[in-house]
Amino acid sequence: MTTLPQRPLRIAAAALLALSIAGLIAVVLYSIFATATGAASSASRLDIAHLVRMTTIQASLTTILSLLVGIALAWSLNRLRFPGRDLVVGLFSSAIVTPGMVVAFGLLTIWGRNGWINQAADVLTGHTIGNPAFGLSGILFAHVILDGAFAARILLARLDAIPQPRLKTGQSLALSARQRFAIIDWPAMAGTIPGLAAIIFLLAFTSFPIVLLLGGGPANQTLEVAIYAAVRQDFDLQGAVMLALTQIGVCSVVILGASALAPVPTSLGASIAPSWRDPFAARALQTVVLILCTLGFVLPLLTVLIGGFGAGIPPVVATASFWHATAASLVIGCVSALLTLALALILTLGRSATGNGAARTALGIPSYAYLAVPAVVLSLGFFLTVRNLGVAPAIAAPYVVILGNAMLSLPFAVATLGPPLDAIARSRGKLIRSLGLSGWRQFALVEYPLLGRDIGVALALAFCFSLGDLGVIALFGTQDFQTLPLLMFRALGAYRGNDAAAIAAILLVGTILAFVALPKLFERLAHVAR
Amino acid sequence: MVKFTRLALAVLTGLLAAPAIAQEAPVLTIYTYDGFAAEWGPGPGLKAGFEATCGCTVNWVAADSSIGTLRRVQLEGDTTPADLIVGLDTSIAGEARATGLFADHGLDLSGLALPDAWTDKQFVPFDYAHFAFVYDSDTVKTPPKSFEELIALPDSFKIAIQDPRSATPGLGLVLWVKAAYGDRAAEIWKGLKPHILTVTREWSESYDLFLKGEADMALSYTTSPAYHIVSEHDDTIHAALFDEGHYAQIEVAGVLKSSKHQELAKQFLAYLSSTAGQKIIPDTNWMFPVVDLGADLDPAFASMPQPSKTLHLSDEEIAAHSKEWIDEMLKAIQ
Repeated sequence: MTTLPQRPLRIAAAALLALSIAGLIAVVLYSIFATATGAASSASRLDIAHLVRMTTIQASLTTILSLLVGIALAWSLNRLRFPGRDLVVGLFSSAIVTPGMVVAFGLLTIWGRNGWINQAADVLTGHTIGNPAFGLSGILFAHVILDGAFAARILLARLDAIPQPRLKTGQSLALSARQRFAIIDWPAMAGTIPGLAAIIFLLAFTSFPIVLLLGGGPANQTLEVAIYAAVRQDFDLQGAVMLALTQIGVCSVVILGASALAPVPTSLGASIAPSWRDPFAARALQTVVLILCTLGFVLPLLTVLIGGFGAGIPPVVATASFWHATAASLVIGCVSALLTLALALILTLGRSATGNGAARTALGIPSYAYLAVPAVVLSLGFFLTVRNLGVAPAIAAPYVVILGNAMLSLPFAVATLGPPLDAIARSRGKLIRSLGLSGWRQFALVEYPLLGRDIGVALALAFCFSLGDLGVIALFGTQDFQTLPLLMFRALGAYRGNDAAAIAAILLVGTILAFVALPKLFERLAHVAR
Repeated sequence: MVKFTRLALAVLTGLLAAPAIAQEAPVLTIYTYDGFAAEWGPGPGLKAGFEATCGCTVNWVAADSSIGTLRRVQLEGDTTPADLIVGLDTSIAGEARATGLFADHGLDLSGLALPDAWTDKQFVPFDYAHFAFVYDSDTVKTPPKSFEELIALPDSFKIAIQDPRSATPGLGLVLWVKAAYGDRAAEIWKGLKPHILTVTREWSESYDLFLKGEADMALSYTTSPAYHIVSEHDDTIHAALFDEGHYAQIEVAGVLKSSKHQELAKQFLAYLSSTAGQKIIPDTNWMFPVVDLGADLDPAFASMPQPSKTLHLSDEEIAAHSKEWIDEMLKAIQ
């Protein structure tokens, strides 16, 4: 690792940021602990061991399935070229940032008792397929739609970045489709897999509304619901912190594993139209994978669009609150996305500047911290922290939202930017040292031009994530401060299902646009820079 | 980029500063849940109505849920800026009272038209409805008339209910079954188990499952059909009335002892439970008013069939046993 350029400032900045994040989480938890008066109200009513076991099984299955589907889909998308490919890629990307409930209801519209498939089967054969969308299979299905498509998007970026010389060499060696995957594709993706696996595991481990909706009852539950009950219903703050620490503990094992795994060198290049086509059998398999995934992933999202536009966009768009919420969402989305990008760059630039395993692990952990802390605990902790600082909650609300959203998007941005930066440090390190480039010029001349598309993907992810969730300010009391997702959930809670469907469709369209446009835009900008 | 960020933050701060509050008039700060303060909820109408006479400004502060308002006040203690909480209900009133944060309202409420006479000294009711399962008469021709009839239906007849730990109606159902069946509650829950399609976090998710045809019935309120009649001219949604009787959700409001505007806050409670205030409630919060509005009540409400019997549990019983009853329910349907 002696080829890495010396970048003590980068490492120091990353270390400082990592410490700040850990400090923030500690302050949030401590503020709750300090407020909790008296002993925990009772020995927990729950069989925690059972909950942890069930949730771990569910999250592990979700992770394995999502990665398998993601790899197969990325492999197919990398090889196949067809009209509308960008749109399909955008659609796949949008799944993870679409509110989970919207995706779950899309799934039910296809697979539910009264869904399209049952209706079609009933008409065609007189029989129905029953109701496969509930129970563990339903939870896994919904999670794979959300996370598998996301994994595919991130892995596709790595495959698309395989340098042309390597492909030419492979082609001239006449590698079979299987050898090509094992020798060229797999090494390109492998560096990304641990981080992806950790994110997916954490998302599934803390998934709450989907697990309740599709789980079919308390048999399938996560620790989050127990924490929710401890905070909101029992008001057992000490118990809630203990449960939260349990969750953080379990998640830490996964995070530690992901951060510690030795990075596999990834290579990097500009994307090109493939001149090397796989044999017919492989292309047929790719086509089948793509069609199945499109049906599985895109149909539920399509129902959201159809439902929304069928419900009538005009009445919703005619309200002032819609435009207020849109403006707030856009501002929050843009600011949080830029903040996310800045934080992610600080962490990943620092991480790629050191070859020390322990340092890399320490710099890797904090980016996931937010995923491991239950949302309801975060919202309570932020409320108390802001109050302890003597700031009026309503004034602090937008800043807390931006910070919260940026932290939430951080692991995704780090997973997007980390592997290519590592690859640059390893493949171009010698060159950078011999040219004596400063840290800034290294970024401007080498890293930024090569990262353009990845920066676009990271920004799109962070922007769409940040359009909306206000869970972190649940207690802040700000009915003048609305975002589109919040408007959607409020409409749902007041019988206004049509309004909610329309807003969901608008959100989805915006998300897809962001995913199609931003990576392209930044690739172009980065080219200009070069 | 820096410029843009600065601009964005300025816009953001501007958005928040918009509802500027006049300095001279006293400001009545009321915590409520977000649906109540929403533009289509009762909040704006009540604010306009009260401000017309009080010489004050009403400032709604909306937490994400009813229980969230109580938790926030508990966290803030004596330093809370809130004068009142509007939107607690009878399931958590006992716990709220036990915090000692609420003052006596001192109002004479003997004229209210509730299923039972109102004697609470701290909390003033402002609307109510009975918990009930709703069905679509196009698909369910003969709805069950009791929990036992529901249990006796084929297993393919599905209901969507809510988790009692996260949703008010979910807790309401636990109390309903308890009030109706007492020691037999666990047995009833075991019988319901094969019919439970799922237990959702929020009311809205169960209700959506029902509207999409995934569940035959969803746990909601006797007043739910009124929304569909008034807003969608759809009269196929009905509440199934059960012979055991129904448990009611009564939403209440209370003045905090720490409020510096005790008189004004009590005036607001009086307005909220007056005919003028109550006229606003039915078509915005989709609940029954607590006074007899006569001809002013929307016919969709007036014509709605009502349960013949209202079931009760005392505040003390609920506060002492609700956890135990929730555990009993969770265990039975596990």
